[in-house]
Amino acid sequence: MSSTSTFAARSGIRIPAPALVIPLVAIVASFAVGFALMDVTGSSISDAIAAFAQGAFGSPYAIGTSLNRAIALGLVGLGFILAERANLINVGGEGQIAMGGIFATAVALYGGVAGLPFGLSVLLPVLAGTLAAAAWGALAGLMKIRFGTNEVISTLLLNFIALLLVYWSVQSVHLLRQPATFAGTLPQSLSVPDSTELPLLTGDPSDPIHIGAVVAIILAIITAIVLRRSAFGLKLKAIGLNPLASRRAGIRTNLLTVLVLGLSGAFGGLAGTMMLLGNQDYLTAGFSSGYGFDGLVVGLLSRGSVLGVVAVAIFFGFLRSGGISMQIAAHVPAALVTIVQGIIVVAIAGSAILIDRTSRRA
Amino acid sequence: MAARSSLAIASSEAATAPSVPRAAARDEVLELVGITKSFGSLTAVADVSLAVRAGEVLCLLGENGAGKSTLCNMIFGVYRPTTGLMHLVGAPYAPADPKTALEAGVGMVHQHFSVVPSMSVVDNLLLGRSRGVLKRTAFADEIEARAAEFGLKVDPWRIVKEMSVGERQRLEIVKCLMARPRLLLLDEPTAVLPPEEIGSFLDVCRRIADSGGALILVTHKLAEVAKIADRTAILRSGRIVDTVPMRGANMKSIVQDMIGRELGAADAAVGLDLAETGERVGSTARVASENPGATAFAAAATPESARSRSADALQIDALSYRDRNGALRLNEITIQVRPGEIIGVAGVEGNGQTELGLILAGIERPSSGRWFVGDHEMTDATPRQITAAGVGIVPEDRHAVGAVVDMTVADNLCLQNLKHYVRFGLVRRSAMTAAAEDLIGRYDVRGAGPQTRFASLSGGNQQKVVLARELTLDPLTVLIAAQPTRGLDVGAVETVYGHIRSACKRGAGVLLISSELDELIAVSHRIAVIYRGRIMGELPALPSNREAIGALMSGNAA
Repeated sequence: MSSTSTFAARSGIRIPAPALVIPLVAIVASFAVGFALMDVTGSSISDAIAAFAQGAFGSPYAIGTSLNRAIALGLVGLGFILAERANLINVGGEGQIAMGGIFATAVALYGGVAGLPFGLSVLLPVLAGTLAAAAWGALAGLMKIRFGTNEVISTLLLNFIALLLVYWSVQSVHLLRQPATFAGTLPQSLSVPDSTELPLLTGDPSDPIHIGAVVAIILAIITAIVLRRSAFGLKLKAIGLNPLASRRAGIRTNLLTVLVLGLSGAFGGLAGTMMLLGNQDYLTAGFSSGYGFDGLVVGLLSRGSVLGVVAVAIFFGFLRSGGISMQIAAHVPAALVTIVQGIIVVAIAGSAILIDRTSRRA
Repeated sequence: MAARSSLAIASSEAATAPSVPRAAARDEVLELVGITKSFGSLTAVADVSLAVRAGEVLCLLGENGAGKSTLCNMIFGVYRPTTGLMHLVGAPYAPADPKTALEAGVGMVHQHFSVVPSMSVVDNLLLGRSRGVLKRTAFADEIEARAAEFGLKVDPWRIVKEMSVGERQRLEIVKCLMARPRLLLLDEPTAVLPPEEIGSFLDVCRRIADSGGALILVTHKLAEVAKIADRTAILRSGRIVDTVPMRGANMKSIVQDMIGRELGAADAAVGLDLAETGERVGSTARVASENPGATAFAAAATPESARSRSADALQIDALSYRDRNGALRLNEITIQVRPGEIIGVAGVEGNGQTELGLILAGIERPSSGRWFVGDHEMTDATPRQITAAGVGIVPEDRHAVGAVVDMTVADNLCLQNLKHYVRFGLVRRSAMTAAAEDLIGRYDVRGAGPQTRFASLSGGNQQKVVLARELTLDPLTVLIAAQPTRGLDVGAVETVYGHIRSACKRGAGVLLISSELDELIAVSHRIAVIYRGRIMGELPALPSNREAIGALMSGNAA
């Protein structure tokens, strides 16, 4: 991981030409492979392309939905690169989203916030979810400094616990499950009150992009400043490169390890609250639906750069929307959509290696 | 399943049967003629001629970088000599790789173990030896029988990671013995052993030799040499200085050979230092002659001004340290350093200096004992608190502890007091660059700007960066420098000495840990000698005490 961060440090935000050309070629090529696969398996390519385009950016509604997906992915990605700067790999995005969702739902439904003024009705559930996920992330940090548990293992396993907590919450009427009025009541929470939902940017429901877009952009800018300019960022970098020398130089390595994993978790939790209060508005098992792991891929592919996170998150947001549309409208098997996404990930990762080689030769 | 006491040494009468292929008595198993090995412009081994006989333990003695390991690696086929010839039992011998060497009957136990910890003893020994169906039980019997010939007890079914370091090392030896070698090379075998296991290890060496094998033992520990060697070859700067039979050998002259080099051109820096300290040496002598009753120790132990005992800059009080394996690495170390005084810690490497340095840097915690800076107890302090108390640390391992090598020179210079360069949480790069430029100039760091990567500097300039950072602490009460001149060229060595002296002149107490005796004599006021984790004694740093210090370094009380 350290080579990744040093690459980012060396290249800064200045992107050399091959860094743009190679991924573009890779993406086009992987789409070509994907459509060829669809053709072989009997789906209509033209239908698939049409469905993809329609679902991803065919209407203001489609674009808004895609961007909302990008917000969640981008936030998880930002959290990932923050921890990665200290050479810590947070793969717990999925669980952190889940914790964010649980606590946002709980506070929105039962926290008595619905009638509060000044946007507090939205702010408090968001804050609750974010803090819960921060604690979830910090827990991995505590285990690391106390018992030496590798954070990859602990954050990964905490995912499963958090996902089961969601499941439990929506199964038990004593927790968040909606009151059972008839036998067919689904195991999910009530819908959160309208006043706790994230305001839409345009106010027009046909354009569903919500306020989270602004928050995410501000957070991206802050993250970029923290990583590039702040003392905190410099200390994270030092810990990532040499924890022993950093400790010798008086940096509180243990404290920062817990702090940055908590911060990383907070980003995941914020993404979770936005998914819940912005799109879905009720909690259900599997509501995180892989956004945490996709966000992890966003973080990995961005190679430590905030600009990279923004770009990859937006790309993946559209990709997800288009993929879902392909499934529904063009009857492309869901597995095939996942395969195409996988090919794209491998292609982008591979192109990163190519970029490294070409820029080293230059 | 055999008994759990796996690789313990059996009673000595069990070790009799000679089974190593025996060369004719008196015959040389291995003969080296004019062996030279160069790496580029560096000559690691120069014109070495040497012979080992069957049944003989030959010790290769020398300081770090004297060429001991290189020589062994040539015999084992890791390197090929640049010039020179080798003969094995009379026949020309030029191994292309370790495999050829093993087939020819030469085994080697490296300093770092090559066993798989999670596998059993028998599986480890089967590695690379097995084809088709594994015959574990039969092979396990073979291991036990083979080990018993040398008085070793092996439980073939024991998992390696459950075994102690000493047991693992014996396993390495058994692994070599399975191939029935004519010649066994042991590269610093005792460096990894806790002191209490060294004795039994040396017994095993003797048994292997008694059964007709030839042994070459690389070490820089004199006590072992005295105990086990039939003959000793002393290497210095790649050359054999002397080869002495150990019966009736004069340990002192061996010490002299090993550490007491002439002050030639290569040691110009040290020579300069001796000249510079001449005045102090003279005054000490004068005090001693004016007060015939006073010992030289008392004279030298009183620096420029009289001070009370409570005014110690650094006080280490009965500090002990056990490592993770439970071996006692430091045994009740007590040292006092007064302001304006330089105390040297002399000793052959591996006698606890590294652990002492890590404890004083706040990286490890002592098992017992305390240490103080002025009136402040530092025993449980974090590195941050130690720095805040004004303790500058020049760590032994520049790359692992001293600096973040992948960051810039400016980052490394300012990391310790980052808060001076931060406003509203943001780093003021311009202030950092200016401060770095200033320090680079003052400490004469060559070939570097603030934005140069630390790793791209030469060793000497890296050390200057570390010194610049540590010496600019304000206030600087104590400086702890561990092996500060290791790997530095002559010019850089001189600069480092200058900085250490200036810290001392500014009133800091300096603890200088070094394995270079000349350096310690040149720079320090007093020298404490450490041996197997204990302070053997403290002497004034006078050239005339060189022999006495050398004797203490080898574990002989003065």
